[in-house]
Amino acid sequence: MRRIQKETLEQVLKELSCHPCSSLELDELVNPQMGIISGFQDLLNELEYLRTLPLGECPPAGSVQPSKQVKV
Amino acid sequence: MMEDIIYSDISTLRHKLDEGTLTAAELVESYQQRIDQTNPDNPVFISLNREQVQKKAQENNASLPLSGIPFSCKDLYHARQQKTTGGSRVMADFTSDENAFVLDLLEKQGAILQGKNNLHEFAYGATGVNEHFGTVKNPYDDQRLAGGSSSGSAAAVALGMSAFSLGTDTGGSVRAPAALCGVVGLKPTLGRVSLRGVVPYCWTLDHAGTFTRTVKDAALLMDILAEYDPEDSGCVNAPYHPCLPELNNSLQGKKIGVPDRFFFEHCDPEILTATQKAIDYLKQQGADIIPVTMPSMEHTRTISLTVQLPEALSYHSDFLLQKRALYSDEFRSGFAAGQFILAEHYVRAKRLIEGYRQQLQQVFREVDALITPGCPTIAPMIDSTQVETAGLSEPAGNAITRYTSFFNMTGNPAITLPSGLHSQGLPMSVQLVSDLFNESTLLNIAHQLERGLGKIPTPSK
Repeated sequence: MRRIQKETLEQVLKELSCHPCSSLELDELVNPQMGIISGFQDLLNELEYLRTLPLGECPPAGSVQPSKQVKV
Repeated sequence: MMEDIIYSDISTLRHKLDEGTLTAAELVESYQQRIDQTNPDNPVFISLNREQVQKKAQENNASLPLSGIPFSCKDLYHARQQKTTGGSRVMADFTSDENAFVLDLLEKQGAILQGKNNLHEFAYGATGVNEHFGTVKNPYDDQRLAGGSSSGSAAAVALGMSAFSLGTDTGGSVRAPAALCGVVGLKPTLGRVSLRGVVPYCWTLDHAGTFTRTVKDAALLMDILAEYDPEDSGCVNAPYHPCLPELNNSLQGKKIGVPDRFFFEHCDPEILTATQKAIDYLKQQGADIIPVTMPSMEHTRTISLTVQLPEALSYHSDFLLQKRALYSDEFRSGFAAGQFILAEHYVRAKRLIEGYRQQLQQVFREVDALITPGCPTIAPMIDSTQVETAGLSEPAGNAITRYTSFFNMTGNPAITLPSGLHSQGLPMSVQLVSDLFNESTLLNIAHQLERGLGKIPTPSK
């Protein structure tokens, strides 16, 4: 997977997403200077790795339910 | 006299009120004096209900568990005819017509809402830094953070400004500031306590929670707050076993799990020593200490963030269209990142969370509770962005919630309580975690442990 480029994000915002981002915010995502979002590229890389994990038929988490062993 | 009152737990206050050695009006006035002394230099409260509080105290003559007891809540909870800011300029003009469900429960038991506590803007962050309302200072050292996001709620109890307080916990935002401020922070099971009438941050991970001086107070509140709310789709109608009657149960034969990795790594050595003392005490009381293998924690932060950012973006979508410029730079940068997380990433993160839940359920077939340090570090300095702890350098917010956020994903009830004072004069803590919907076992073990660990000194300011 190629490193994310500012032009790519700008194109996504123009063609897909509804909320605008400032040029400064996009700069921070691709080349962090202020330390606010310091690991966006790392996040994307890790997400790509997680996408390769086999999860079988495990569903998305919903509400939690009591286990049978709880004594009430 | 005032110090005796403001640092008393609810049980002691209840006793004094019932025997007539203290009136509700005197109690309210004592807290009010403390707030007037403290709040100008430490922005713990965003708003106060002075007149209403005094009126309710004068009228108070009922004999209910919380009659005349003043409390505060994080400014995400809606209170009737009062502003809810979320710690942000974005909602500065919002006034609610209704109480949050849990505020109604507490007021029915006689509690008096003093006002709303400061927080990290809309709960997006664990340091408690707030550029609009100011950053809450640690009660034990005003150069250090109180932690967050429920910074004001933790400090209000620690500084003797409220008898108890309510917060919310999405990655540790009750337990972590409680740990850094030297009070008890309880996060019940996911869905156990209604969040109707509370500004959400992340529906999947948000929990209501309490700040108290003692575990017994936490149990008292838990028994009041654990009421099923059919109008909150996230609330679970599970059987509830009251906590107060179980507090004094023996620990003989209780199985306490000690995680084999992650939770004891890159931790301040004094905090590790204090946690080991807690484990030794539980053993002396007859508990069996069992090493347990936990799920891999390698990707937990990424998985949590992948759910948090799109959900926060979704809730704030309307505000963003109209008031984008009013958000802090920090939150806007989170929204920007949230826009570029793919739908499949979000769903996959939620499937991984379900996997964590299934794995942890296996662990709780072997043990009654887990014990870990509450926080790997003492309170960081206010201006610190990175924290170095035992060879690991990481952002301050990550360090503060490193041991707590996993249990927001699994939904297990968890509590932090003081384990002593660090040589630098700051509170240290331990965390206990129990099986889903088993708050009574959690608080029983925590209460017994609290007896062994003793109290830490109150802050000098």
